[in-house]
Amino acid sequence: MCSDFSRRHILIAGAAASVAALTNPAKAEVRSKIHDVRIKDFVYVPDTLHVHVGDTIRWINDDLAPHTATALEFGWDTGELKRGESAEVVVSENMETAYFCVFHPHMKAQLVIS
Amino acid sequence: MVAFKGCYALVYRTYMRETGGLLMKKLISALAVAAAFIGAQATAQDIANMSDTEFAHIAYTADNIDIRYAHLALALSDNPEIKKFAKTMISDHEAVNEAALELLAKLGATAQDNAVSQALNERADNIINEFSQLRGAAFDKAYAENELAYHQEVNALVEGTMIPNIDNAEVKALFEQGLKIFKAHEKHAEMMVKSVQ
Repeated sequence: MCSDFSRRHILIAGAAASVAALTNPAKAEVRSKIHDVRIKDFVYVPDTLHVHVGDTIRWINDDLAPHTATALEFGWDTGELKRGESAEVVVSENMETAYFCVFHPHMKAQLVIS
Repeated sequence: MVAFKGCYALVYRTYMRETGGLLMKKLISALAVAAAFIGAQATAQDIANMSDTEFAHIAYTADNIDIRYAHLALALSDNPEIKKFAKTMISDHEAVNEAALELLAKLGATAQDNAVSQALNERADNIINEFSQLRGAAFDKAYAENELAYHQEVNALVEGTMIPNIDNAEVKALFEQGLKIFKAHEKHAEMMVKSVQ
């Protein structure tokens, strides 16, 4: 009896979600993506990355030297990434778009949020 | 040292007459730098003929010296930029040394002490003694200028004399990776020197 109720509840919820998806197709189509930025030879690749709010950016350090990806005004930060380590940051609406490596300040890159 | 200088001038003149090549100019300047490190104890040719395990020892020694300079800067400087730079020197050179030790262990090899490593250490001891007497802006200026000069010298030695003479491919690849890091330090040091003028 109890499990019947649960099942019916899930079915209804599922149907409601489908209806919502159908009635709001634009929203249903937007999927968040994961973007990789590789750090190699003291360069962020790519150095300009186009992203959407809700996407995830993943920095992967391929260098021997430790690096960071840190917003210029320190609004967000991956923390120290040693060789082979990675860290992710989720794109939010008003996040800072210019970033650098705190250990090697000549390393700079930017995000373009649309 | 005198004998070396004479030899260097002769080689240089002969070579420039024959080809006048830029590459050789670069190589010769690297050898001259190497000779400045080691004084009369070995000739430039001796360095070129060294084994990979001796090169590894020189590189490890050079890394450790820069780490020692950085610890001195952390202890004596009040300049936040100098302190940040020094922390970077510690973390980067430690990362390279860690990779070097990993590779030596993998190859079953041991870094071999030699005259160049000893001369580098001796010179570093003198510099540290001298710098430890300095304070404030005088220290910051001396540290930044020494970092620039030191990276220029070691980079020239690594690029011009060591890398072309390394036998093992993995050791060579590690030196090439290290050189990229040290060239980034050289650029960073250039900015440091400008900022403390």
